[in-house]
Amino acid sequence: MHSLLLMALSLPSWQDEQPFLVTGLALGGVYALSGVGMIVLYRTTGVLNLSFGAVGAFGALIAWQLINHSGMNQWLAYLICVLFAGAVTLAYGMIFGPPLARRDPLVKTTATLGLTLILLGVMDLLWTSSGGASRSITLPTDNHGFLIGQVQVTTTDVIALAVGVVLTVVTTVFLRFTKLGTAMRAMANDREITATLGVPVRRVEAAAWFGCGILSGIAGILLADLVALDATTLTFLVISSLAAALIARLSSVVVTFIAAIVVGVVDAMVTPITSLTNYRDMTPFVLAAVALLILNRRRVLSLSRQGF
Amino acid sequence: METAQAPQNVPSASPPAAPPRVERDLLIRGAVITVLIAAVLIVLPQVLSLYYIDAMTQVAVYAVVALGLGVLVGRVGLVSLGQAAVLAIGAWVAARLLFGTGLPYELVLLASGVITMLLGTLVGLPALRMRGLYLALITLMLAGAITVVLSSINFPNGGTGFAGYNGSQVHIPPLRRPSIAQTDPAYFRYSVIVGVVMFLLVLVHVRTRPGRAWAAIRQSEPAALAAGINTTAYKLWAFALASFITGVAGGVLAGAVKYLYAFDFQTQDSITLLAVVLMGGAYSMWGAIVAALLMQLLPAILNNVGLSPDWLTIIFGIGVLQVLTTAPRGIVDQVPRDLGRLARRIGILGRRSPTREEAAR
Amino acid sequence: MSISNVVPRARGGLAFVAIFALLALAGCGGSSNNTSSSAGGGSASSSSAAAGGTATSGGGSSSSVNISSCGSKPGVAATGSPINIGTIDTKQPGTDFSDGPNMINAYFQCVNANGGINGHPLKLFVQYDQTQPAQVAAAAKQLIQSDHVVAIDGVFDLLECTVDQAYWKQLGIYEMDAGIAPECWSTPNSAAVNMGPRYSSDGAVQYGLAQHPSKVVFVQSNVPGTGYIAAGPKALADASHVPITELTENVPITDANSVALNLVNSAGPNGWVVLNFTPPEALVILQAAQKLGLEDRVKGWGCSTPCNTDFLAKALGPKWDHKLFVNAELASPDDHNGPEFQLYKAILAKYGSSVAGGVGSFSQMGFVLAKFLVQALEKTKPPYTMATVNKAIVGIKDYTTEMECKPWTYGHIALHIPNNVDYTTTPSNGKMVTAQGCTAISNADPQIAQYRSAAKAAGINPGG
Repeated sequence: MHSLLLMALSLPSWQDEQPFLVTGLALGGVYALSGVGMIVLYRTTGVLNLSFGAVGAFGALIAWQLINHSGMNQWLAYLICVLFAGAVTLAYGMIFGPPLARRDPLVKTTATLGLTLILLGVMDLLWTSSGGASRSITLPTDNHGFLIGQVQVTTTDVIALAVGVVLTVVTTVFLRFTKLGTAMRAMANDREITATLGVPVRRVEAAAWFGCGILSGIAGILLADLVALDATTLTFLVISSLAAALIARLSSVVVTFIAAIVVGVVDAMVTPITSLTNYRDMTPFVLAAVALLILNRRRVLSLSRQGF
Repeated sequence: METAQAPQNVPSASPPAAPPRVERDLLIRGAVITVLIAAVLIVLPQVLSLYYIDAMTQVAVYAVVALGLGVLVGRVGLVSLGQAAVLAIGAWVAARLLFGTGLPYELVLLASGVITMLLGTLVGLPALRMRGLYLALITLMLAGAITVVLSSINFPNGGTGFAGYNGSQVHIPPLRRPSIAQTDPAYFRYSVIVGVVMFLLVLVHVRTRPGRAWAAIRQSEPAALAAGINTTAYKLWAFALASFITGVAGGVLAGAVKYLYAFDFQTQDSITLLAVVLMGGAYSMWGAIVAALLMQLLPAILNNVGLSPDWLTIIFGIGVLQVLTTAPRGIVDQVPRDLGRLARRIGILGRRSPTREEAAR
Repeated sequence: MSISNVVPRARGGLAFVAIFALLALAGCGGSSNNTSSSAGGGSASSSSAAAGGTATSGGGSSSSVNISSCGSKPGVAATGSPINIGTIDTKQPGTDFSDGPNMINAYFQCVNANGGINGHPLKLFVQYDQTQPAQVAAAAKQLIQSDHVVAIDGVFDLLECTVDQAYWKQLGIYEMDAGIAPECWSTPNSAAVNMGPRYSSDGAVQYGLAQHPSKVVFVQSNVPGTGYIAAGPKALADASHVPITELTENVPITDANSVALNLVNSAGPNGWVVLNFTPPEALVILQAAQKLGLEDRVKGWGCSTPCNTDFLAKALGPKWDHKLFVNAELASPDDHNGPEFQLYKAILAKYGSSVAGGVGSFSQMGFVLAKFLVQALEKTKPPYTMATVNKAIVGIKDYTTEMECKPWTYGHIALHIPNNVDYTTTPSNGKMVTAQGCTAISNADPQIAQYRSAAKAAGINPGG
């Protein structure tokens, strides 16, 4: 009976699945990077920054340009990428943060879609794909690695996962135990009251936006290497990463990280199952939808006005 | 918690107990609109090249899609980031029926509307438990999932089986059009008429009980509940209505393009759709038409003058930010108001400008 | 819009735009003058491609070829009434074929400066689309009705052949293209200078089969028409009694590691993996395979023609030299330098500033498409109407080019696969070099067999 079911789905053996577990961890690391990065800002400012991917992609493309056409040292170029991402995100936060501060989270989130579209359009204008052009960033860490089972793991994969872990731990500790972190959490709840309590709201917000920008820059470089240096791909990759954040109900950094890893592993392990392999890109969406529906079983009444 | 920017002093749906003057205004407006539609039907196909007739057919289709999203966003306050996927479902059903059956086109449209409505409501039912941001995000997730499914099962191309897709087709047959609308100008008229019917359908809803209930829900759900409004049913109703007209639009789209591909319905399109609906004005039915012009006519013009469509993406991005920060009622409100202000400033038109009245709806 | 009227809050928006512009300028302004040349079929090697354009043209013009040889009257500008030619091209992020029409335009400029077509200049009208069938249909009507073109030459498009075939047939237009859709090769009114995904995949699989693998794995992007493409490789593998597995992958690929792993696992140590993807996607898979150390875990790797760019060879590095074998429908500019290649590079240098990718397969195909049209029209007497021009086009017979293996013929037949003999290339020191010279695609593909018998019956060189 069991073997019959295996036959029907043409399930691969555990032996065959093992390597996909490893690649799945790496993919999970990719999702975790963006997912955790977005949650950090959401928990501190109440803004779900959907331009996270676009900003990172823009930075990565600038780095590519500097390395390949200006002959710049690659580490310097990556530094510029990260700083650019920080600056753009900070500028957005400073300009659009205050006028939207009192609006619904939905409005704030939609506004970041505006930034996303602008960045995407500019990227497509500046870095065309005419003549079948395509670009890639290869980090030096790609050439070092070790074997797990029969799968080569590169140092870049490890770095991506490590950045995710470090980010998760540092953010959790920071938000819970530091003064600035507490201020941020308070602000996400109620900006006005926090301000009256003497917290320098604008400075704290600036720190959060800049931090989020820096993270998107780092994620941009790593994802350009791990996924592809393509404006559209990187911009909309956040939608998949968002799934992990949604599973964590946009609140827990730790759960986001774990959810991202689970999404990555499930996605990868479905790859060798022939009948399902073309549907595996649904993994983040399906898991998020199911999780949301289960987690939100209780009916919540919205007290505020809906929509824009 | 938010109150400041969003409009609230403007009655968005139903004018209570209409005094006679308003009724006369309504009549005049009805007459103006009728003349306008007649002009669109008769004059446009005469003066426009086939290139722009095709573009305007797309406008007619997307005006209905934008209207559906406008109902959700503007009337009820439910934000969907998955309307392109709903449109895709409508187009898929229509294509399947067009290849698989000899049904008259109108029945195909009706069927794709109804089936899309059932699917949309099915999805909407559990999603309704969510509010605001969560609802927007779950629709984004579902749209992502639908896109993956569609790119795997593909749009029907005359093959057999449930999916009606034959990947080995050497000659892909075009989808058929209604016998009365074979040519492009005729099909344009056909799409406009279908569009007008959809607008009327929505108008009827907005002007009657559902419209009033939606407005109440949008203002405050607890208050609506307290007033004895079955909020779940009315929200679901809005989902059903939006899905129905979007499904019908999908059916019209099928005949307009004749060939359907999964890559024409991307998640990005849902985002662009929300952007143009916000820019056009989600609170007004005219906004839907402006949104469709932005999304379909503007690219055709840019393309024709040789400008990259990337500029549009940038403009839409700026538009979203501008609308959200300064003009939540969109172009249909903004432009007449600005024009009015300009006119007053010049001093030629001191009196009440009719466009403002229009916009206040 | 009306920003100026929204006094209090609009400043934010304006400031944002200004700051954004500044950032954009600061970020990449220094390099923005590069962007026009930052892409290319040679693409990543674009700097070298663009530079190559100027540098080698210096070499080119110093050698025997004179650029004025593109026209019939050197140095005499054409002043007659223009001959309007139309084309439709896909141009969207990720799929931008504009190098093709831009090269045709460059060629036309050269011809117009050197006598034109019996004194008449050629004028190219380009319509771009973003893979929306409605747009493609509208574009065709725009070209005919508003631009009054008399012929369609140089279509580089994902959908055009499917969408517009009926319209061309109705008008009596015989289009020349570098296509992708199946109808480009299977209809009376279209002939392509390229082989397209199916026959190019055939070529890549055929090379693999000749190395006697135990199995072939053929993988392509999950887009409409995959079944049609896969039918070719399957027929070839079946004829050689080698098992074949056909896979599709959703694009853009986000988990290339799993994809690469899956390919290698299903091919086995003695198997042959053949990819049919756009260059970026193919690169992502191959790079993932390299990262995971999988390149030696199968007998060999193959790729259809999009992989045939130096940029790929450069990005992949030496591990793939003589490990990856790419089907190439055009002769490589790296190891060919006859008079025609010199003319191509010279035109590119003098008139091709808009050809972003410089030397590359798209501009090569554009060159061939322009050359054939000019050659056909020069033999035709005025007036140049839709009827006379299309008669000249369909009458093209045995036109040779250094860029392709076999002479090219249009002709009145039910289907056209005029380019069916091709090269195989492999990366070597960051360039794509020829691994196998002209080889005919096997008749095992029923479509190829059908074309060859139809061509033979019509007295046309069937190739192979």
